[in-house]
Amino acid sequence: MSQPVNTVKKPVSIKKTILRLLLYFVVLDVCVITLYPYFAMLCTALKNRVEIFSGDNILPVTALWSNFIDIWSRAPMAKYMLNSVLIAGGSTIIAMLCGIPAAYALARMKFRGQTAFLGFVIVSQMFAPVVLLIGIYQVMQRLGLTDNILGLIFINAAFNQAFTIWLLRGTFMGISAEMEQAATIDGCTRVQSMMKVLLPVAAPGIVTTLIFIFINAWNEYTVALCLISTDTYKPLTVGINTFNGYNMIEWQYLFAASIFAIIPVVILFMCIEKNLVSGLASGGVKG
Amino acid sequence: MKKFLATLLALVMVLSLAACGGGSDQGATPPPADSGSTGTEAPPADAGSGEKTAIKVIAAEYGQNTKQWWADFVTEFNGSHDDIELTVEAVSWNDIYTVVNTRVANNDAPDILNIDVFADYVADDLLLPIQDCVSDETYAKFYDAFLEQSNIDGTIWAIPDLASARAMYYNTDILEAAGVEVPTTWDELKAACEAIKAYDSSIYPWGIDMTTDEGQAAFAYYIWNNGSDFTDASGNWTLDADANVEAIEYAVGLVEDGLTNTDPANETRYALQDLFGAGKLAMMIGPNSIPTYIADNYAKANTPAEEQISYAFAAIPTNGGNSSVSAGVMDRFMVFDNDDSDEKIEAIKEFFDFFYEDTRYSDWVLMEGFLPATSAGGEIVAASDESMAPWVEIVGSCKFYPTAKAEWADVKQGVIDVEQQALLGGDVKELLENLQATIAG
Amino acid sequence: MSTKTPSAPAEAQELTKKAPRPSGSKKLSRKIEPYIWIAPSIILMAIFIVTPIVKVFQLSMSKVTRAGLVKGYNNFENFSKVLKSPAFALVLKNTIVWTIAVVVLSTVLGFMLALVLNNKFRGRKVARAIVVFPWATTLVIQASAWNFIINKDYGTLNTLLMKIGLISAPVNWTPTPAAYFAWEIACGIFVTIPFVTFCVLSGLQSIDASYYEAATVDGAGYFQKLFSITLPLVKSSLTVATVLNIIYVFNSFPIIWTMTKGDPANHTDTLVTYLYKLAFYNGKQGEASAVSVIGFIILLVCASVYMIYTLRKGDDDL
Repeated sequence: MSQPVNTVKKPVSIKKTILRLLLYFVVLDVCVITLYPYFAMLCTALKNRVEIFSGDNILPVTALWSNFIDIWSRAPMAKYMLNSVLIAGGSTIIAMLCGIPAAYALARMKFRGQTAFLGFVIVSQMFAPVVLLIGIYQVMQRLGLTDNILGLIFINAAFNQAFTIWLLRGTFMGISAEMEQAATIDGCTRVQSMMKVLLPVAAPGIVTTLIFIFINAWNEYTVALCLISTDTYKPLTVGINTFNGYNMIEWQYLFAASIFAIIPVVILFMCIEKNLVSGLASGGVKG
Repeated sequence: MKKFLATLLALVMVLSLAACGGGSDQGATPPPADSGSTGTEAPPADAGSGEKTAIKVIAAEYGQNTKQWWADFVTEFNGSHDDIELTVEAVSWNDIYTVVNTRVANNDAPDILNIDVFADYVADDLLLPIQDCVSDETYAKFYDAFLEQSNIDGTIWAIPDLASARAMYYNTDILEAAGVEVPTTWDELKAACEAIKAYDSSIYPWGIDMTTDEGQAAFAYYIWNNGSDFTDASGNWTLDADANVEAIEYAVGLVEDGLTNTDPANETRYALQDLFGAGKLAMMIGPNSIPTYIADNYAKANTPAEEQISYAFAAIPTNGGNSSVSAGVMDRFMVFDNDDSDEKIEAIKEFFDFFYEDTRYSDWVLMEGFLPATSAGGEIVAASDESMAPWVEIVGSCKFYPTAKAEWADVKQGVIDVEQQALLGGDVKELLENLQATIAG
Repeated sequence: MSTKTPSAPAEAQELTKKAPRPSGSKKLSRKIEPYIWIAPSIILMAIFIVTPIVKVFQLSMSKVTRAGLVKGYNNFENFSKVLKSPAFALVLKNTIVWTIAVVVLSTVLGFMLALVLNNKFRGRKVARAIVVFPWATTLVIQASAWNFIINKDYGTLNTLLMKIGLISAPVNWTPTPAAYFAWEIACGIFVTIPFVTFCVLSGLQSIDASYYEAATVDGAGYFQKLFSITLPLVKSSLTVATVLNIIYVFNSFPIIWTMTKGDPANHTDTLVTYLYKLAFYNGKQGEASAVSVIGFIILLVCASVYMIYTLRKGDDDL
């Protein structure tokens, strides 16, 4: 919020004011619509089952905050949460480690098979994980990675390569190569020039990619479901299924747990969002 | 060239570092090699000392308490069996087919599986005859009628772990207010529905679930209580029998007349139970676990007695003077043929002996409000919980789906499809004839 | 991005300038170097995606038992069975409607939202964080929540409208399969908008403000600037986002599965939910694999056409 707002103080015209108001109106609407399901989830999470299905009230008559506490004793939520963080974090790291060099090569070098590789990257995404389950399980079995968080990290990293490579390639190509060339002449290796010159300038694109991978890995469900059998290695998405039983679905717990599940992602986003802006503020986009 | 090698090396290092980073990230995760025995204890030091027989079980998660029950079971079992390392994975019903099929397709079947279906595994020679894996003493405990449900070509392939039975639940207050008696025939049922609708149009008189979740149950309720069945006496499919057409037309007719819940193709039994519990649905066919479920809700909500619904259950209404048939649902244990050594078979027998030990078994059954599949268990359950006694009676005489037949999975999906097509206005007779032709032809 | 930036030609020049100088081994290493840079990515995808894909193709042409064991090849029997099934045409139609509706609407709305959020205003940070919400929630939960909201009997939407006094009796929001499907599409759009918004935002962030300043000096209006500066510059990142979006939406599973499971009678099924039922409910792994291969071919054709059309048009981006 604190970046220098260099809106020069102009005389405030009526048109400007109306546009401002319109802007706030739109933003407010968007926020209300977006938050509505969460409001509904929160209200449900604070009710007991009888009240939920009576459908009489929007707000709970007496807020049952204990539902939020109960879930921690009914399922190893902390463990699930930690696993999710590890999986999402690990996937992000691996996807970036593999994706950045590839995107760099595609943006800065000319080589035979470049287009083919770009095409391959897209094509690799064309099967839904649901479809590939049996094959994925087979691979993991051979590598001894079933029931292992590491296996999920690799899978998520692989499934996010396309986005990583394509988005970063675009970002890198939008940045002039001159500064890197200058750095190379100064005796930097390619790796050094990439790390020191290119990546800082490419921060907005990198941050977007990062958020994207993290969120995707955080939300992954199907593969984790099939690969992980030990309860304490399950990520949140699979773990909260505990509240989805044979005889009843415990909506209040399911939603309470889901609200917890959003918090880490939003925190991550809030931390990182600043960079999304300041990468630009640092200015060197056009080199 | 040197530079090339150097870059390659660097990359490999980065990658392996990354991999290690990921690995050490996990902290508690043991190396994959011995992840089969992911018990909470068992430090690697004593892994070599005594070769333990590992048994892997995948069990269906019936509800809130299942997971904990199995966790306690494993602790107790492993504590009293030094030479066996038991692991139990409880998987929710929504996902168990996905999980099990993926594993089986990759030759990674569990040793013991607790699920409802078994014929497909028999067809591929994946199972061991269950009698070879259960001690005679335990085997003798089951109701014969139950064992018969797992009979294919004269061999019993699975043993029941529990059962549930269905009956008609009705809200006594609503019926009283609408001035109707508890219906016993289809005509009475329809009249009762109309009376309830006339009394209060905001109440749904009758609940029907024709979803992918459990639409086959609705099919069974109506055809069985119209004196018909999925097959004839010699086991040939008779899906398009006239009585079946009549039964489904009756059920769909209730929906079309606006006497049921709004959207039977999308409202599952859960949804119906919740509506019933909230007093918005007057009558429905449901499992014996409904009282536990409703009582549980009230207890958690501290609902005062005057706000609770009063309800009772009765036999499912029938047509044409047939006697009422309750639908039974039975789940099973089966043992996969993983080239087991004799010790392993012995260990599996130990497992079953332990599980079916009378008090432990009745505890298992009562845990989620199910019905026992052993006579001893039945006696204990009936004695310990008075409300269960009539159910123990019912379950001994109810009808089951023809799960032992190889085409059952197709039939199940097929009848659900027929129901839903009929709800959309399709002709029941034509639909059932087509299904019969696909299945039997 | 690319039209204004001469980076690729500059790189090519640099290469040609330097190329003659290095010795033989250096030349070789130069040739090989790009492949080393892309190697980790290739290895990762080859192991974890390509192998499973090969397996799918193999299964699609095999006889697979209900329990999932492969019993030899059966030519294209799975494919012919799938194509002959009466439900397939319906499911295919649903898939196309679903993909087009979700992708087009979420792209348009997401783009507009990005333009709004790119303005400087009080509370922008909070607004952006809120927009992330739908994306940060597992789709299963998201879909459950919507199902819960629109439920006729205890849904919060009816309760809310009744409290406000807009309606007097509960409304059935899903009277027909088509209506239910429309809700699923709405839910799909809802969760896809953040993805588009942030792709576009990141593109917008990298546009040099000087372009706008110059255009303002030239007297260009808002929409002129939008069409002559903003759109061309975010086009490349938007194109990629859209292609990936098409793929993700086409293959999206949890929303439909959670809300309707494709009921009634395949009227809300898409290819993915359909094949999931085939594979894990009906025990027809072979046919399910055939469906996924067919879906793959459709996607391949559509995505290629789209990419060639948008990327090759006018510039040398590829």
